[in-house]
Parts: sequence; C-alpha cells; structure tokens
Amino acid sequence: MIKQLSQRLLGPVTLVLLALTLWLGLWVTPPDKVQGNLVRLLYVHPAIAWVALYVSFGTAAIAGALYLWKRTRSELMDRIAYCAMEVSTVFIILTLITGSIWGRPTWGVWWAWDARLTSTAILGLFELAYLALRRANDDSDLRARRSAVFAIIAAINVPIIHFSVDWWNTLHQGASVFTEDGKITVHGSMLVTLFISLFAFTLLFFWLLRARYRLEVLRDEKYQSSLDEALAQRRREGVH
Amino acid sequence: MPDADVFDVTPVAAPPTKRRSRWRSIGVLVVLALAIVALLSQGLLHSLNYFETIDQAMSSRAKLGTETFRLEGVVVAHTIDRTSTGASFWMSGGHGEKIFVSAHGTPPQLFQANIPVVVEGHFTSDTSNRFYGTQILVKHTASYIAAHPNRVKAPNGTVR
Repeated sequence: MIKQLSQRLLGPVTLVLLALTLWLGLWVTPPDKVQGNLVRLLYVHPAIAWVALYVSFGTAAIAGALYLWKRTRSELMDRIAYCAMEVSTVFIILTLITGSIWGRPTWGVWWAWDARLTSTAILGLFELAYLALRRANDDSDLRARRSAVFAIIAAINVPIIHFSVDWWNTLHQGASVFTEDGKITVHGSMLVTLFISLFAFTLLFFWLLRARYRLEVLRDEKYQSSLDEALAQRRREGVH
Repeated sequence: MPDADVFDVTPVAAPPTKRRSRWRSIGVLVVLALAIVALLSQGLLHSLNYFETIDQAMSSRAKLGTETFRLEGVVVAHTIDRTSTGASFWMSGGHGEKIFVSAHGTPPQLFQANIPVVVEGHFTSDTSNRFYGTQILVKHTASYIAAHPNRVKAPNGTVR
C-alpha cells in the first residue's frame, strides 16, 4: 500500500519540487554580490552534477557490486545498474553543458583543462564505454559481470573528481556546502533553494530510473514472448 | 514427420547482424579508450595544477624565466586601468607579494577589483616582476552572498 502510494506520488512530487526550485531560483532568491543573476545557475548545475556523480553513478556501481556478490546476485541488480548508468550518462552530459554555460560568463571561457572538468569528462567517457561494453557481450551473465567490474573500476574516478579542487589548483571553485571543515559558504534563501534543488533532482533521477527500469522489463518480456512464439511456431510446423 | 520438400531443414548460418553490432561496439570501446588516454595525458598529466599562485611563482621565479604559464592572484583595488587593447592592474598573492599585470584581450564580464583571477602569459624578462598576459580568466570563489542594492554606496556612487 505504502509502496504503491510512494510510486504514484514520485512523479507529481518531483514535478512540484522542480517547479518550486524554478520559482525560488528565478524570482525569490536575490542576485549574488559578485555574480549577479548568474548565480541562478547555482540551483541547476550543482544539483545535476550531484545526481550524475554521486546518486546515479553510485547506484550503478553499488548495484553492480551487489550483482558480483553471490548472495545478492540477481537480474534485478544488473538491470538497476544498467538503467542507472544510462540515466547517469544523460546527467553527466547535462553537467558538462550547464557547467560550460556557467563558465563562459564567469570565467570567460566555455572550457578549461583543469582537473575537475577533465576528470568529469573522463567519467562521462567511462559511462559511454560501459554502455558500449554491454552491447559487446551476448551472454547475459558474462555481460553483467564484466560491466559490474568496469563500473566499480570507473568509480575510482568519483573521489578524484570530488577532491580535485582540494588536491590541485583548479579554475573550478572549491566546495560551498560539503567542505572539509564543515563550513557552508552559501547564504540565506540561496542555501535553502540549493538544498531543495538537490532533493528535486535526486527524486527526478529515481523517477527516470523507475521509468527506464520498467521499459527494460517490458523489452525483456517482449523478447521472451517473441522467442516463445517462434518456438511454438516451429513446433506447429513440425506437427504438420 | 515434416515433409523435406516443403520445409528446408538445411543448417543455415546465424544472421550476421549480432556479430556486426558486437564488432561495432568493440570499435566504439577502442575509440573511447583512446579518448580517455588523450584526456588523461593532455588534461591531467600536463596540467594537474591549472595555475601557479603568486607565491608559488615567486618561489620558482628563476626556473620560470619567461616561459608561458597561468598565474593566479587577487586583483588589487583601485589599480585597474582598462585600455582599448585590454587591461593593466596589480595582482597580490597570499603573502602580500604583488605583480604588475598588463593583459591583452577583453577581460570577462565579472572582472573587477578584489576577486581572484588567472592570467595566462609570461614574465616580461628573466628578472622582471612584470607579467604580460594574453588571457584573463576569473576564478570566482565558493562564497555566495546576496547583493544588497542601496545598502552600501561607494564614494564614486557605485553600488556594491
């Protein structure tokens, strides 16, 4: 009952929170002292990057690890890993696009080869490689195991991306919220809107993941039913 | 028993689509692997540190000579002189050391006093502390503070 209700509410709640983020971000929150109205990208870019790096890629890597562990090995885990990685790829592309749009007026360039941007682009390539790897294998178990191992190896890049702004001199700013010393450098209603956007985009990810998962199940069912139908047809041919 | 004349039961090869698709995927994987290696070598290994701070540059001043690199510092207030070809200003480091920068090209729209900038260029001579820049980039901080229009007015009438 609760599960059904939460599944039904996921979409509407996500849309309401995204609308709230839009309203707060565009009309309620003030312009920044230095960046002026460019600060409104603060309610889009970090949330998309949060989902791309931690939520969706994390889901894919954890589901992959659970598939590798014999006690939790199931088709469900492999499907979740695959679907999460597909959604993550969309989010990482959006991260690079929104970052570029923000970078041009603030930094003065669309792109810089600094450690944060380059390592994020590398993660995007890893994700594309993961999707290509899945298509290169016909055996479902082998495909699931190989892609799970690949996702776990690629996950090494996530802490590199996260700490790149602390380890090296980067053009990209350091952390504003999850800082090493716990200080938050985003003030007032800007911070509240930032947190709402993080929550809204996280829910958006789970909504998309659920839709993508159902599509994958339907595709498998269709494949199985067409296979059964083909076998039945061959049997009928054999009887005649 | 099926009639052999009606049903052709000769073994046939599997359609080549799957195999072709598989090789295409392997080709994509190879291209992506090359792209990752290229990004690692160009982006990370050559410039893990995107810039040198003024303190870092001054400590390795002799080694840097007149080679091109990116220098980071904070724009000193009241020193910006915008020209038709670019801008000149003083930049300060964490320990108070200052370098005069003369940069060519239009600065980014956020370029202003008291903010960190990264200037790509080189020192004008082996011993000089004057820096010639070919590009100015603004490195905004991680702080987001609301602007309060009309709260503070500078003597020249500008609102900050």
